[in-house]
Amino acid sequence: MWQPILFCLFAAGFFGFSGYRFLRLYRLAKTQTGKAPARFNRIPERLIQTFINVIGQKAVLQKPGIGILHTLIFWGFLIITIGTMEQFVSTLIPGFNFEFLGQPTYVSLLFIQDLFTSFVLLAVLGALYRRIVLKPKHLGQSSDAFWVLAFTGSLMVSIFLMNASHLLATAPWYELAMPMSRRVAGVMGLLNLGTDAYETMAIIFKWIHMTLVMGFAAYIPTSKHLHIVAAGPNTFLMNLDRAKPMSTINFEDESITQYGAAKNTDLSWKDALDYFSCTECGRCQELCPAWNTEKPLSPKKLILDLKHQLFDKKSGEPIIGKEVTEDVIWACTSCRACEVACPVFIEHTDKIFDIRRNLVMMESKFPAEVQSVFKNMETNGTPWAFAAAERANWAQGLEIKTLAENPQYDVLLWVGCAGSYDERNKKVMKAFVNILNKSSVKFAILGTEETCTGDSARRIGNEYLFQTLAKINVENLNRYNVKRIVTACPHCFNTIKNEYKDFGGNYEVFHHSEFISKLLSEGKLNPTKSQPATVTYHDSCYLGRWNNVYDQPRDSIAKLPGIKMAEMKHNRDQSMCCGAGGGRMWMEETIGRRVNVVRTEEGLETGAQVIASACPFCMTMITDGVKTKEKTDSVKVLDIAELVSDSLTN
Amino acid sequence: MNIYVCIKQVPDTETKIKLSPDSTGIDTTGIKWIVSPYDEFAIEEALRLKEKNAGSLVTVIAAGPARVVEALRTALAMGADNAIHVEIAETADNFFTAKSLAAALKKEAKVDIVYFGKEAIDDGAGQTAQLTAALMDLPCVTVALNVEYSADKIKAKREVEGGAFEMIEATLPVVIAAQKGMNEPRYASLPNIMKAKKKEVKAYKESDLGVSSADQKIKLKNFQLPPPKQPGKKVEGDAATAAKALVQLLHTEAKVI
Ligand code: SF4
Ligand code: SF4
Repeated sequence: MWQPILFCLFAAGFFGFSGYRFLRLYRLAKTQTGKAPARFNRIPERLIQTFINVIGQKAVLQKPGIGILHTLIFWGFLIITIGTMEQFVSTLIPGFNFEFLGQPTYVSLLFIQDLFTSFVLLAVLGALYRRIVLKPKHLGQSSDAFWVLAFTGSLMVSIFLMNASHLLATAPWYELAMPMSRRVAGVMGLLNLGTDAYETMAIIFKWIHMTLVMGFAAYIPTSKHLHIVAAGPNTFLMNLDRAKPMSTINFEDESITQYGAAKNTDLSWKDALDYFSCTECGRCQELCPAWNTEKPLSPKKLILDLKHQLFDKKSGEPIIGKEVTEDVIWACTSCRACEVACPVFIEHTDKIFDIRRNLVMMESKFPAEVQSVFKNMETNGTPWAFAAAERANWAQGLEIKTLAENPQYDVLLWVGCAGSYDERNKKVMKAFVNILNKSSVKFAILGTEETCTGDSARRIGNEYLFQTLAKINVENLNRYNVKRIVTACPHCFNTIKNEYKDFGGNYEVFHHSEFISKLLSEGKLNPTKSQPATVTYHDSCYLGRWNNVYDQPRDSIAKLPGIKMAEMKHNRDQSMCCGAGGGRMWMEETIGRRVNVVRTEEGLETGAQVIASACPFCMTMITDGVKTKEKTDSVKVLDIAELVSDSLTN
Repeated sequence: MNIYVCIKQVPDTETKIKLSPDSTGIDTTGIKWIVSPYDEFAIEEALRLKEKNAGSLVTVIAAGPARVVEALRTALAMGADNAIHVEIAETADNFFTAKSLAAALKKEAKVDIVYFGKEAIDDGAGQTAQLTAALMDLPCVTVALNVEYSADKIKAKREVEGGAFEMIEATLPVVIAAQKGMNEPRYASLPNIMKAKKKEVKAYKESDLGVSSADQKIKLKNFQLPPPKQPGKKVEGDAATAAKALVQLLHTEAKVI
C-alpha cells in the first residue's frame, strides 16, 4: 500500500518541479518580442520532415559514427519509455501490465526493450569513450554532458538489475523474452540470496529507476538535454527550402521603432526555441570558417551565450557585451555551414543579421572601412569607388545591346558590380559573353540602368540601403518586363531570385553555372580544345549552401576535354567559405589566420593546377590566397566561364 | 551654444566631368551629388560640440539651387537640428555665396561658431569661409585640425605650409574651416534619417537677403578639361645611361629641370 502513496508524493514533487521549470522556459520564450518567421504552413511537408529527422534521425546521421550511437539511444529511449509507463502504472495499480495486449505482443515488447537497454548502455559507453578518450575539438568540455550520460547509463543499469532481481524472484513465464536480463540474473543468482531477498531487491531497483527518471525530468529544463523536448518542434518549424530570403523590414510601418535586435528580447520566440534545442554537439563550430581561423565567433557559443542571457534574466540588456562582442558579430561570413550542419535546424545567421541590423541602422556601429562602401553604394550604386555612368564601360566594343535600345532578347545578362568594375572579373564577364555568343543566345544588358543588388548592404545589416537599391532594380526590370535573367554572381543570383519577390520582382533567374551546364547538355556548345589540367572546384556559399547548386558547375567542368577533377577536403555542404560573404568582402581581417588563405591551402593540397570558382568574390579571395602562398606560377584561379570559353574553338 | 555649419553640395568624387556646350561651366546632367567631404568634417565637429554642450543647436546652411536641399537632409540625418536653404544660382561665385551666407547668418539671433570645410572639392577655391568671416567681421581659423573649446574662446591647431602646425586662439563668435583628420564623420542612423525626411528646411530667396547677381565677381568664359594623362615611359639601359636619358627627358619633355 505504501508504494502508490509514495509514488504519488514523488511524482507530484519531481514532475511538479520539472513542470514548473518548463513553464518558466515557456514564459521566457514569450518575453521575446521579435517577429518569428511564418512557419505554420505546408503542414504535410513539415510532418514528413519531422518524421524523417526525428524518428529517422536523418540530420543526426549526417555524421555516421556518433549518429548511430545517438540513434540507438534515441530509439532506446522511445521503446524503454513504454516500459517506464508500465512501471509507473503498475506502481499505482499493483498487478498492472501490458499483457492484455496479447502474449505475442507482450513478449515482443519485452524482448525489444531488453535488447535496446543493452544497446543504449553500449552507446553510452561509446559516447563516454568519445568524450574522454577521443575528445573531438569541436565538442568542448561539458559537465552537463557527463551528467546526461551518467543519468542515461544509470537508468539502463537499474533496469537490468531490477529485471534480473525480478526474474530471480518470480521466474515469470516470459523469462525467455529477456535474454540480456537473464544473463545479469545468471550472475546475480550466484549470490544465492533467496526469493524474498530478490523480490525486495527488485522493488529497490525499481524505485531507484523511477527516481532517476523523475530526477532526470527535473534536471532537463536547464540542461542541453532540453533538446529532447525542443528539437522536435524546432524540426517541425524548420526552414523547408534551401533558399532562405532575409526578412524584409517594412520601413513604412511607423509603429516599428527598433530595427534589428539590440536586446535578446528583440529576437523572436523561435530564436528562443533554437537556444532550447541546441544539443551542444559542436557540428556548427567544427565547420565555421571564422572559428577555424581563430576569430572570436563560434556559432555554438553564440547560441549558448544567447541562451544564457535569456536564462539569467539578462534578455532586457544589450546583447553586445562581454560574451557576444562586436567582433563576434562581424566575424560571420554568413556562409551558413553552421545551419546546414546543425542536426536540430538552428538558424544562426538570422540572429547575427538581426544583431547587425541594430548595430548598423540604430547605432551606426560597424567596421570603419565599411562606411565608404555604403557611401559608394548610395551615390554610385556600387561598393567600389566608380561612377555609375561608367558601369557599362566593360562592354565597349562587344556590341552588346542595352534594354533601352529595345533589342530582341531571350535573357537579360545581369552583370553585377564585380563584372562591371573589377578588372579580373571583367575578364570573366567577357568569357561568359563569348559563351553566349558562341551558343547564339540572344541577350541584352541594362547598362547604366543596372545598379548594385544590395546584397552586401543587406548582409552587413543596412536593410534601408538594400531596399533603396532593390526598389530601383525591380522598378527597372519590371518597366522592361524582364522575364529571364542570367548572372555570373551568386550574390546577385541569390538576391534577385530569392529576395526581390518581396519588392514585386518575380523572374526566372539562372546562375551562369546553371546556364552553361544547360547549354552544354543541349549541345549548343562544342568544347573541343583540350586543356590538360587537374581542376578543383571551390563552392561559393551563396550558390551551394544557400541555393543548392553543386552539380552544375562540376558537371560543366567535367565535360571539358583534358580536364581531371579533384575535390577539396571540404566540399559541397561542408565546403569552406572563401571569407568574403556576409559583407566580409569589404572588411579588414585583423584577427587570426586569413580565411581565404586557409581555404586556398585546401585547394593547393589537391595538387590541382587550376582552382575553379563561380563567384567574383571567391575569385578575388582565392586569387589573393594563391598570391599569399606564392603559387601564382603553378596554380591558376579561373572562373568556370573562362574554363569553358577557353575550350571552345569555333 | 548656437552652432552653424555652412556646407556645399558638389559632384561625387567619381564623376567624370563633362563641359557644358558653351564651355562656361560643367554639364550637370547625370551627376550624383554629395556633401563636400571637408564639410562632413565640419558637420561632425559641430555635432560633437553639441553633444558635449547640452541645449546647443546645430543649424546647417547651404547656398545653391533647389538640389542642395538634399545635402541639407544628409546633414540633418547625421544629427543637425535645423536647416536653411539660401537659394542662389548654380553659377554663384565665392563672393556671392559668402555674401548670401553672411546675410543669412546675420538674420539669426545669436551665432557662436560657424563651421565650414576648408574648401569644396569641386572648385577647390578655399575662400568662402574667410570671405564670410570678413563680411561678418568675425575671426577665422582655416585648415583647423583640432579645436579645444572653452566658454568664450577656442584654441585651434591648424596646418600651415611645409607640414608644420600652429596654434591659434580666438574669441567667440568664430569661423572655423575644417581640415581632413579633424574627426571621422559618422554614418547617419536610420531613426535620424527618418526624422530628417520630415524636418522643415527654412528657405531664403536672394531678395530676402539683399543679394543679387550683381554681387557676382567672377564670370567663367572658357572652361577646359585637363589634358588626358600620358602613358608612363620606361627608361631603359644600365644605370648610367638610364640616368642620362632620364635627365634629358625631364628637361626636354617634362620641362621640370
Ligand atoms: S554562417 Fe558561417 S561564418 Fe557565420 S557562424 Fe555560421 S559557419 Fe560561422
Ligand atoms: S547549434 Fe546545432 S550544430 Fe551547433 S552545437 Fe547546437 S545543436 Fe549542435
